[in-house]
Amino acid sequence: MKLGIVDEYSDLGSLLHRWEPRCKLIGLMVLIFAFSFVRDLRMLLAMVVVTITIYIISKLPVSFILRRLRYPSFFLLVVVLILPFVSGQTIVMSIGPLDLRQEGLIAVLLVVTRFLSILTIGLILFGTAPFLTTIKAMRALGLPAILADMVLLSLRYLHEIGSDLQKMQTSMSLRGYKKHCFSTRALNVAAWLGGSILVRSYERSEWVYKAMILRGYGYAPTTRGEFQTNSRDVITLGVFLLIAIGFITGDILYGRGVAALLQ
Amino acid sequence: MHIPDGILPVPVTAAGYAATVVVTWYSVRKINQKENPRQDIPKASLLTAAFFVASWIHIPVPPTSVHLVLNGLLGAVLGYFAFPAILIGLFFQAVMFQHGGLTTLGVNAVIMGLPAIIAHYIFRIRRFGNQESRRKTGIFGFLSGAVAIGISVAMFVLILLTNIPADLDIGTERAALYTLAIAHLPLIAIEGVITLLLAVFLQRVRPRILDGV
Repeated sequence: MKLGIVDEYSDLGSLLHRWEPRCKLIGLMVLIFAFSFVRDLRMLLAMVVVTITIYIISKLPVSFILRRLRYPSFFLLVVVLILPFVSGQTIVMSIGPLDLRQEGLIAVLLVVTRFLSILTIGLILFGTAPFLTTIKAMRALGLPAILADMVLLSLRYLHEIGSDLQKMQTSMSLRGYKKHCFSTRALNVAAWLGGSILVRSYERSEWVYKAMILRGYGYAPTTRGEFQTNSRDVITLGVFLLIAIGFITGDILYGRGVAALLQ
Repeated sequence: MHIPDGILPVPVTAAGYAATVVVTWYSVRKINQKENPRQDIPKASLLTAAFFVASWIHIPVPPTSVHLVLNGLLGAVLGYFAFPAILIGLFFQAVMFQHGGLTTLGVNAVIMGLPAIIAHYIFRIRRFGNQESRRKTGIFGFLSGAVAIGISVAMFVLILLTNIPADLDIGTERAALYTLAIAHLPLIAIEGVITLLLAVFLQRVRPRILDGV
């Protein structure tokens, strides 16, 4: 599996790229949660408009998001294919023995729009700054040091361990192993393959720890003031918080969305 | 088995985050009680990456294939590092591959992580009584793998069916529940067997890994 590099366009110069990472993290995460609050169809339209506007401001290429939509959640696909036929009472049309229902269609519209909008904002959040900077921002906002260290170390070795797996699978294929049929041998081989990956990583971790100690791991001076917030960052954060509040208020004011629309 | 963004209501995702914060805080507290907590971080991190990579291994189950979850073995090997490790793995999945989601990160971490901690305790039972044998390692390996994925499946199905934004009647809901549960039975069996084989393999090749991080 190819590792998805999410910060390949982190060096562009948009407003979102220049936004201080801590403020960006708070602003976009609050917006994401506000989006997941939306249940009114009119607010869904506003959500799409806001998402597209923010994406245009971020200057990220369209291909960036299209490539990531190539692997949509399989589970979401199942929901989209099943819900319109099983949810609700109001039959819109019949396709053979299957009845297409209005409530199911609305639920699908709701789920898919929210999913795509949240996914886009998430990509903007992690695509407009180097991943390391975003993790540092999380650390500055209170992420425990153990978690921050684990994220960075895991990410550092993910590529190498992934490449080890690929080489081992290539070697297996070259030696005639075919993974197309289910058998106890297939289970054994999968377990040995997984076990080898774990053993190699365990051994490597002992060397990594020694190397880290030699380089002063645990005794590094604490860096203060790595992130500088200016008035523009705070104003941008204020705007995003207002948008988020607007979505929540709008959804409450318009009534309880889908339920109200169906009455 | 990751719930994507856009499906669950805010109270559920918020409760998921709250539970994740509590369990992570407890895990970090337990880790910090060790004599030298920093010593285990590289080991836990590389094993986190290794488990993440191992989950890409597909088992052919015609006409399709299933990928390993390994939350049972992860709990057995990583102990209190298991929950942070799963949280990190799910974060990578959401950010790099758009599997799962950012709002559902907490809920997904609870679905995968709590059973891993239960698996850790199940696997520890093998140390009671007589000397550790391959048979005991295999039996408790199977149990930790199968129980962990079984609880994960049950939590996933329950959270999903009770919170999906759709008007399902009781009959449909019950049918969906049974279908999802039955569809996952082979996965539970495969996961148990693979965890058994992996635990026995590790005991033979590098038993120190099974002593925990």
